Amino acid sequence: MVRAMPEHAGRPETSPGSTWGALMARAQGGDQAAYRRLLTEITPYLRSIAARYHRSREDVEDTVQDVLLSVHAIRHTYDPARPFGPWLATIADRRALDRLRRRLRQAGRETTLEPEHETFAAVAANGDTGGADGGLEAAELARAMARLPPGQRQALELLKLKELSLKEASAATGLSITALKVATHRALKSLRAIMQGRR
Amino acid sequence: MASTGELIDRLARDARPVRRLRRPALRALAWLAVAALLVGIIARLEGIRPGLAQAFDDPRFAIGRVAALATAITAALAAFELSVPDRSSRWLWLPLPFAALWLGAMGAGCIADWLAEGPSGLRIGHSADCFVAILMTSVPLGALLLVMVRHAGPVRPVATALAAGLALAAVGEGGLTLYHDVDATVMDLLIHLAAVAVVVALALSGSRALFRTVVPR
Repeated sequence: MVRAMPEHAGRPETSPGSTWGALMARAQGGDQAAYRRLLTEITPYLRSIAARYHRSREDVEDTVQDVLLSVHAIRHTYDPARPFGPWLATIADRRALDRLRRRLRQAGRETTLEPEHETFAAVAANGDTGGADGGLEAAELARAMARLPPGQRQALELLKLKELSLKEASAATGLSITALKVATHRALKSLRAIMQGRR
Repeated sequence: MASTGELIDRLARDARPVRRLRRPALRALAWLAVAALLVGIIARLEGIRPGLAQAFDDPRFAIGRVAALATAITAALAAFELSVPDRSSRWLWLPLPFAALWLGAMGAGCIADWLAEGPSGLRIGHSADCFVAILMTSVPLGALLLVMVRHAGPVRPVATALAAGLALAAVGEGGLTLYHDVDATVMDLLIHLAAVAVVVALALSGSRALFRTVVPR
């Protein structure tokens, strides 16, 4: 059945849409193999839609996963009597836009720290300014870190320097999230004491 | 986050058979039937207001009431169509002319009344009852409607909720004229307009939380 689809007119027919529709119809009936094939086949197409909205590979991949999760959650809304392409394209466009909006909101809240954001006249008070003084500061910090107990040092390196999430750090070390939090807190306290003692 | 391949594996393993949705128009009809039933029951309990038939001789009243009915039907249809991904987002336009006519007739009533009665129209009669009555029909019908279109979360959440809110407000406000003896004071009409705004706002905010339960965002 051919119906006018004004929203997606002009979109190149990128898929054997009828095959995908048939696969989805079988997936709705519980056919796992058909469903796996469908999800695998649509992934490159979803990536190409996501790439229109996002530049970073991470965002593209996260968008693809958002779309796959959405497709899964509302797969009962697909009507096999109608074309599959527009159904999928709407979900893909919306989810890509959702993520783009979230990114823009974040960008609105966060600002890159520039030299003019320095708040104190003393160079040391403004952290790493990239110059020779920054290097000095970094060296001092590295020495202080070396004096920390191994557990505390590891927690700091993973969470603060490599910027892993608590979950990821917990997976990497086998430590519980609470243990990591405690170690980080103690590490910062020790660091502060060491650095202050030095001045 | 796990890799996309792993996600596909997980989803495929979870591919239980699902029941397909019926056509949006049929589902809209089902909801409208429930709405009509509820309004009918309330009208039965409260009694049809006296002089309802005569009131229809006033063209402004007649146009307003017919427009409210048309808004309820078209907005409900639009909400169900918009909630499904492969339907056009232009469905949102369908109820708008009727809504404009409906709200316009109410607004014109306000002005006409103000001119005729002056500030005395601003007394609060049983306006508060109207407000409560509109909300009382809208809340249960709204819960039902939003649950029926909950799959709209990853599709068109705002447009769907907006259409749903319009449908609810039109049913609530339109139904009210059957059983409340609205003396059409400025205050009554203002209260009706306020109730309509509150219902639409409630639908918009309530849908956010509900839609998130279907697909986390």
